Amino acid sequence: MSGRRIGVYVCQCGGNIGDYVDVDKVVEEIKGDDDVVIARSAMFTCSDATQQEIVQDAQEQGLDALVVASCSPKLHTVTFRDVAKRAGMNPFQYTQVNVREQCSWTHTDDKTGATEKATRLVRAGINRTRLTEPLEPIVVETTPKSLVVGGGIAGLRAALGLAELGLTVFLVEKEARLGGHVAGYGPMFPNDRKGSDLVATLEEKVRANPAITVFTNAELMAKSGSFGNNQATIAIHDGDKLETIQVDVGSIVVATGFDDYEPAAGEFGYGLDGVVTLPEFKKMVDEAPGLLQYKGRPVKTVAYIYCVGSRQDESLEGAHTYCSRYCCTSAVHTALEAQKLAGDLRQYHLYRDMRTYGKYELLWSASRENGSLYLRVPDDEPPAVEKLSSGGLKVTTRDLLTGDEEIAIPADLVVLVTGMVPRDNAELVSVLKLPVGNDGFYNEIHPKLRPVETIVDGVLICGACQAPKTSSEAVAAGLAAVTQSGAMLKRGYAELDPMVATVYADLCTWCGKCRAACPYDAIEQVELDGRQVAQVVKTACKGCGGCVPVCPEDATDLLGYTDAQIKSMIDGMMEVSCS
Amino acid sequence: MTALVNPGLADELARSDGFDADACMNCGVCSAICPMGVDVEVRRLFRYVLLGMEDKVRAETERVFSCLLCRMCEENCPAGVHIAENVRTLRHHIVRTGFGLGEG
Ligand SMILES: Cc1cc2nc3c(=O)[nH]c(=O)nc-3n(C[C@H](O)[C@H](O)[C@H](O)COP(=O)(O)OP(=O)(O)OC[C@H]3O[C@@H](n4cnc5c(N)ncnc54)[C@H](O)[C@@H]3O)c2cc1C
Ligand code: SF4
Ligand code: SF4
Ligand code: SF4
Ligand code: SF4
Repeated sequence: MSGRRIGVYVCQCGGNIGDYVDVDKVVEEIKGDDDVVIARSAMFTCSDATQQEIVQDAQEQGLDALVVASCSPKLHTVTFRDVAKRAGMNPFQYTQVNVREQCSWTHTDDKTGATEKATRLVRAGINRTRLTEPLEPIVVETTPKSLVVGGGIAGLRAALGLAELGLTVFLVEKEARLGGHVAGYGPMFPNDRKGSDLVATLEEKVRANPAITVFTNAELMAKSGSFGNNQATIAIHDGDKLETIQVDVGSIVVATGFDDYEPAAGEFGYGLDGVVTLPEFKKMVDEAPGLLQYKGRPVKTVAYIYCVGSRQDESLEGAHTYCSRYCCTSAVHTALEAQKLAGDLRQYHLYRDMRTYGKYELLWSASRENGSLYLRVPDDEPPAVEKLSSGGLKVTTRDLLTGDEEIAIPADLVVLVTGMVPRDNAELVSVLKLPVGNDGFYNEIHPKLRPVETIVDGVLICGACQAPKTSSEAVAAGLAAVTQSGAMLKRGYAELDPMVATVYADLCTWCGKCRAACPYDAIEQVELDGRQVAQVVKTACKGCGGCVPVCPEDATDLLGYTDAQIKSMIDGMMEVSCS
Repeated sequence: MTALVNPGLADELARSDGFDADACMNCGVCSAICPMGVDVEVRRLFRYVLLGMEDKVRAETERVFSCLLCRMCEENCPAGVHIAENVRTLRHHIVRTGFGLGEG
């Protein structure tokens, strides 16, 4: 007997557990165990009514620790920690035992076995709970400042949003000017506003905002610190001079964008006179003096080849297998813009699939009635581009929509509808430890539920550095990063989970093994009473436990899952029931 | 045989008879709904016109004249193409330019 006062609740989960595990028998078995003051079964432990009963029991019986045997800890650990707290216990003296996913659901064919296993699991939980210590969340003060890396449309909008939330913002742009790709565009889909105007308006607001400091010709050189408190070193180039400054920030928003795909020489005739990429063509249309011209010659027929540098065959070395998402719509929109110019333009679009998704479908329909004809190219037989002796170009393709007929199109201009590729930013990736996906873009934690957070605390990603995006999508992600930064920084402090590693300094001989094992750089070497020992930086530790098994002196432990607790759980598991 | 695109044919028919198949997105609804089935296949005929494949149109004279002009397709075309009217235009064109009589 340890003098603990533990309450144990075993859940039926309707029939989910109760149909396969004899819950009452489990309760009967563990009722008399040491320190178990109360043991009950419940139909739905997570229901408000049962939660209330637990609180009441705890108060009447003076419980100091709690075990609920129900579903996966992923579902309800937080729920019942909260119940424990409401009942006056320390929430970290609560243990969730999984008798559903790991017992009833897996042993539907063996009720006796499932019941026995559930008993063992509950007993392990009770043993762990007996050895729990009260833990308090680690409270860290956060710095109400953000660093935005990349001053494209996503980064600019994010900087403005952060400042509007009341945070101090540093914006670091590598180039001499702000705005990224969009700064160079004329009319853009969907509302024909000029990219250059959009960016100019944004830049004006950003520059006028006293909370935002803009650094151009600048780069992030180094970053240290941990959750909510980072030190960032920024290098600013001024001609030959290089100045570095240090800023403290609570969050870092990465908005470094994309690169245009550069076709290889000869790829769909790239390199031939008159074969241009979509960005080049867009510029020609944007800047056309009334009439569409190429090198002084009027352009009457344009042939577009879609998906260049996107949706490539995976067997190709370094293939870009994804769809670049913006290009169908941009090509269609640019064709419509070109049609507005003087002259009678014929436009042939050689596509694989049209992906003018959502509202952009209307642009595609409009283009068909405005001089654009669409030919569907088979995936396995790309079109061929050749130069004619007459000086013009000829594109030959099969058209699946015309019964696979082979069609030749004489064209003045061939536009390669190039996709987006990840920007090469190796230095930034290594400074921030950014998670890079197989496709070369940065990875968020969860595409739906945590779309701008990364596995690196306080480092958020947004815009086309995550994946090909249109401007509106890039800006939406930028504003999501603003919200996440606000959630982290506006309160002024954050509470972190206290289940982190700890080092018993008296046992440690500073061999450094734990530091080498830690993936989060959370272990540092310190001097204590004249000895070198390891120490855990609590705010950096993620509680992964990687340092625990490597210590030859057993000097490391994980709070909440100490070696002693794990051993006691194994013992509990091995205990044979008397009946 | 590789066919060379020629926008002239569609232009001419649009001018003379209001031929309007450019909005067609090749969805296939017309072919699915047509009581004559693949014997007509209007959308393919329209593409021949749009791409300027005059020979193909002529080679499919039988199809052009198999259409019942029932307008089932037109009622259901999501792109609002005046399908039956266009078929009539093709008949007119073929008749006007001769059935190829005396050519073979
Ligand atoms: C031809 C073409 C036409 C398009 N047309 C449209 C359209 O009509 N409508 C639409 O919605 N979208 C359009 N798009 C898509 C649009 O360009 C993107 O959605 C948008 O540029 C994404 O913005 P961003 O800020 O994420 O990236 P970017 O525009 O790429 O900006 C990134 C910025 O980060 C900076 N940077 C990069 N690395 C670093 C670093 N290490 N340190 C500091 N700064 C760095 C860059 O210099 C740049 O200023 C088009 C794209 C193309 C290619
Ligand atoms: S958006 Fe269109 S052109 Fe671009 S990769 Fe996707 S399918 Fe190809
Ligand atoms: S592994 Fe153990 S002994 Fe070695 S430094 Fe870490 S805590 Fe100390
Ligand atoms: S109008 Fe002609 S093509 Fe259209 S459904 Fe009737 S028969 Fe078929
Ligand atoms: S139903 Fe209309 S849009 Fe669809 S294939 Fe026929 S003509 Fe074209």
